[in-house]
Amino acid sequence: MKVEATEVDGRKVYSVRGFNNGVSRWLNKLPTLWIEGEVTELRRQQRWASVFFTLKDPVDGATLPVQMPRGQFDALDLGLEEGERVHVFGRAELFEQRGELRLKALTIERFGLGAHLAALERLKRKLAAEGLFAAERKRTLPRYPRLIGLVTGNDAAAKRDVLTHIAQRFPPANVLVAETYVQGPRAPVSIATAIGDLCRRGVDVIVLARGGGSFEDLLPFSDEGVVRAVAGCAVPIVSAVGHEQDTPLCDLAADVRASTPTAAARLVVPDIAELRARLVRSRDGLRRGAHRAAELHAQRLSALHERLRRAPLLALERRRARLDTVHARLGGLSPAATLERGYAIVRRGEDVVRAVDQVAAGDALSVRVTDGTFGARVE
Amino acid sequence: MTFEEAQQELEQIVARLERGEAGVDELTKLWERGEELYRICAAKLEGVQGKIEELGRSTRENGDSG
Repeated sequence: MKVEATEVDGRKVYSVRGFNNGVSRWLNKLPTLWIEGEVTELRRQQRWASVFFTLKDPVDGATLPVQMPRGQFDALDLGLEEGERVHVFGRAELFEQRGELRLKALTIERFGLGAHLAALERLKRKLAAEGLFAAERKRTLPRYPRLIGLVTGNDAAAKRDVLTHIAQRFPPANVLVAETYVQGPRAPVSIATAIGDLCRRGVDVIVLARGGGSFEDLLPFSDEGVVRAVAGCAVPIVSAVGHEQDTPLCDLAADVRASTPTAAARLVVPDIAELRARLVRSRDGLRRGAHRAAELHAQRLSALHERLRRAPLLALERRRARLDTVHARLGGLSPAATLERGYAIVRRGEDVVRAVDQVAAGDALSVRVTDGTFGARVE
Repeated sequence: MTFEEAQQELEQIVARLERGEAGVDELTKLWERGEELYRICAAKLEGVQGKIEELGRSTRENGDSG
């Protein structure tokens, strides 16, 4: 079928209806396909033949009106809620009466667990490739934080757990609490904003805490914006989201992961009882140490004094020992031992007689033996 | 002086004294300094009760507008 035009002053003129109809038929040639988005502005009334809603792009907020025959919509029995993510199978059509483009839905599927997991896995690989989860990015927590930032839901048990345990463990701790949405479509922006606000207020560590929840409840903590806010946080950040078995992506980007909000409290503040004990040990050590040092000095002094006292005596003894040695050596040289064995020293006057021609007959000699001296005459 | 700094200095003094490195003249000074540091640390632990503050409502309102 062709759209009819009328000739007016040599130009082809189409009616609005004709134009819309033409565009509509052209649009009908486009393929039928799957589109992913969030359901908003859902309108369904008994007297309407169709159900209407707007499909919103979760990333940049672009929107697309959707129409589906009410019978088909009801038959799906999805019970869709505002903000829920869906896949819609449909094709473009023009609402000819008003020249409006919309999507004619043939079927709708809730964005299932499998789809969520696949999307998470894709995001995880992408962020890992950027190095957001790298071990060398992890910072150590301050041992004595001056101001702790806490990001948590307004009525959450997690908030109470963290605050109670911090106060018990380390009463002097200062905490600045930022309440945020912790689930639902508003949560991601709210959490990321809170992290930035706390950093600007000068906290030196942040705890991101949320109690357990369903897979969907914890999804904001795997949101790209939140994960980037955690990774880019100016101060060290502890993630305590969900239970032990949950691993939202913010856990991977945080500097430290705590299994529970209570465990997070233990990580960010020291135990005051341990600090007291350590302080007492230091004080005892101080007294013992001072005492020991003084004692050591006294000992050194008295040892020195003792050496001083004994020094002259020691010098004298050393001299005597040397004298004894010399005397012993002198003993070795004396003729006494030789005389003992029966030898004699013969003298004529003062001269020792060593040869026969030193004496003549009738000379008086003196003979020295071991026990004395006697006279003798040469024959 | 932060608690951490005071605690660190105190423990260094104790270690020096225990090794017997301190000279006689120094001994009294170190001991007095150690006692002073002990008092600083103890006061920081015992005297102060921490504050828990709520960040202004602005965070939630920002979230609301999304």
